[in-house]
This record gives sequence, C-alpha cells and structure tokens, in this order.
Amino acid sequence: MVTPRTGIFYHPSFSQRSYLTVGRRLAAFPGALKELLALPQVILFESQPVSDELILKVHTPDLIRAVAQDPL
Amino acid sequence: MVAAAQRVWLGELVNAFAFIGAGGHHAGRDFFGGYCCLNDVAIAIQWLREVHGLGRVAILDTDAHHGDGTRDICGDDPTVLHVCLCGSDHVSADGTKVDVAVYRRCLEAAVRSDEVYLEAAEAAFAPRVRSFRPDLLIWYFGFDGHRGDYGDLGLTAACYQGLVGLTLALASQACGRRLLVVLGGGSRTDLATSLIPAIIARLADATG
Repeated sequence: MVTPRTGIFYHPSFSQRSYLTVGRRLAAFPGALKELLALPQVILFESQPVSDELILKVHTPDLIRAVAQDPL
Repeated sequence: MVAAAQRVWLGELVNAFAFIGAGGHHAGRDFFGGYCCLNDVAIAIQWLREVHGLGRVAILDTDAHHGDGTRDICGDDPTVLHVCLCGSDHVSADGTKVDVAVYRRCLEAAVRSDEVYLEAAEAAFAPRVRSFRPDLLIWYFGFDGHRGDYGDLGLTAACYQGLVGLTLALASQACGRRLLVVLGGGSRTDLATSLIPAIIARLADATG
C-alpha cells in the first residue's frame, strides 16, 4: 500500500463562492479531481476553519469586523 | 491552508495544493481588497512558527498583481523571502523582499511571454532560495495572468507547468521537498478546471 504523499485541501463551499470576481471559478471541483484522487499517493482533505485567536495574531480586530460587514 | 502547511511541515505529506475561499495576498494586517479577505499564507506561517518552530519560508508569488497584503504583514520579517512578479522592480535592503517587473516584458514578448515570465521567475527566485535556505517553500499560484483572464500577461498552461517544475526542483534542493502550492487569483472556470489538476498531477508525479 502506497502512503499518500500529496495532499489536496478543498471545501465544497469554495466551488460556490470562491474569489468573488466570478464566484464559481471552481464549479467543476471536486469532480475535476477524480482521476487524481484515484492515485494512491494523493489524498483529499476537507479544509476546516481556523480559530479567531489565530487570525487575530495576523490581522487587526477592525479588519475582521470589516470583512464580516462586507456585502460581498 | 493551515492544515496543509502543518501536514507538509510535519512530513505527513511531501507537498500539497490548497484551494481557497476568500483568502489571498491582498489582505494586509489592517486592510483587505481584491477579493482577499484574510491572508491565508501569513496565517499558516504564524501557526507553524508558534506551534511547530518553523524557521525560514520562501514565497514565490506569481499572481498577476502585487502581493501587497503579504508584503505588509511579512515586510519587516527577515525570515520570509517574498519574491513577487508584478509591475515594478524593488529589492529590500536585506534582499528578502523582491519585486520583479514583468508586465511590459511579457507584453513586448507577445508569443514568447511564457518563456520571458519563466526566465524572470527563475532568475529572481532560484539563486535567492539557494542562498536563503528556507525550511518550507510556498508557491502562491494565481492564474489571472493567463491569456484571456483579467490580468492577461499572455501566459499559457506551459508557463504554469514550468513554474511547478521550478518550485518542485527548488524545494527538492533547498528544503527536503516541502512544497505548498496555494491558489491565488484567476476567474475563469475553464482555466481553473484545466490548469489546477495539471499542477496537482505534477506534485503527485514528484512523490509517486
């Protein structure tokens, strides 16, 4: 058995609302990964949210508030 | 992105490709824009530093536009090498923050834009990575510079294949193959659907 060595990190929400210029640029995913995911060295993970505490070590509280209020 | 970086750093994966929602390189410490709400790369670096003792990181930013948010957050950090292909030339005093003007060169090169872009990326990034000796390599991959997308630099799939080859080779030489590819800009569904699996296939080929 081959140990997975290449990870793909993806969440279904990315295909619905990702990089809002167009919004559905990832509409074909995860289906477009089907052949890759058949390879024994490739593994798919579902992306998980990180804590506010971690985000606040990089961004200011004002930025977090502004992002939350942004209509996009 | 944080989980991807962690698994690569811990050796549970050799390399990884991270899709994103609304993360990106235009998010600075106290500003955001260009549809980048939070700086996923900077957050992942913060996590690896705090929890896992990450040292030096090298970032190749080939999104069509300048990574102003990443530069804002990491600009004073000499343990982050950030090489950005964009519209102007700049090298910081310590040599770890580098901008390379490619717009005019690509437009003038026309059908040779892939070749010109790749040469610029290699010339700016490869020697610096070799001397910087990072512990982790991150490629911020935007496809907005592809022909017909909103940052059109005349690039084609061949250019992105060249870039994944370059980053794989440098990661192998400099940091035990630890490579994280992070999706940046680009808007077209057809391009995402063809370019992204082709890049992941190269990552997988390198570990198979």
